[in-house]
Amino acid sequence: MKQLPYEYYVDIVTKRYFHAVDNFDLRTVLDCFHPGASLREMTSNSLHDGIANIEKMFVGLFGAHSRLWHGNFVHTVDVPGQAVCSQFSVEVTSRATGKEIRLENCNRFYLQDGKFMRVFVYMSGENLLK
Amino acid sequence: MQYQCTLNREQLVELAIRRYFASVDRKDLEAVLDCFHDNAMLTVQTAFATHVGHAGLRRMFKDFFGAFKTIVHRDFTCTVDAKNGRIAACFVAELLDHGGQTTLLENTNFWRIRGDRFQEVYVYMSGANPLV
Repeated sequence: MKQLPYEYYVDIVTKRYFHAVDNFDLRTVLDCFHPGASLREMTSNSLHDGIANIEKMFVGLFGAHSRLWHGNFVHTVDVPGQAVCSQFSVEVTSRATGKEIRLENCNRFYLQDGKFMRVFVYMSGENLLK
Repeated sequence: MQYQCTLNREQLVELAIRRYFASVDRKDLEAVLDCFHDNAMLTVQTAFATHVGHAGLRRMFKDFFGAFKTIVHRDFTCTVDAKNGRIAACFVAELLDHGGQTTLLENTNFWRIRGDRFQEVYVYMSGANPLV
């Protein structure tokens, strides 16, 4: 496959993946992943293996929160390595309590054929990706 | 902040892994500090702990080196953005304390390089923060 340009990695993380997460757009979120992808939350060592388990996790995340915002991105993009590591801020509002919490997280995305194959998440607070 | 970096891809890996982490594992404090600018900042983002400047970093690393009998960082996977002077790496930190207890962490570091040294370092840890 032809090497993807630098901006592809920034765009899939910000304009596709996190834009879709912040707009509760499950279909577009899942379209960023390979069917055999895995997402691992490192600070609680939670593994979501395969697209069905990733979908289940996002249904839970969307159900538990009335607002999700990801911003203040700084990306480290490795074009030959097909990887992007992103640092960012997160604000989420709980549907149950109305309380907003703020996190400073990072994700490591490893891609194959332009989609996420392995994603690793570090959170500065309690794990929300249950 | 976007810094001007003078290092290429191989030199970024050399600085972060073969100079910085090799010096940490040898407990060579002066060699570790030589990787940082005088006004550099290291933040353990998962614990909201920040260490500023050579004085702050010296104090933190001195305590860290004293708290563990051996410190080993291994199994690095680097993500290198040479155009922007940034490198990230995930790795295993194996820390053996003086009581014989081993702590294993799977961490990720982000380095932003100004010139040929670290200006900002961010650490994300899979467990409790030993860089206190």
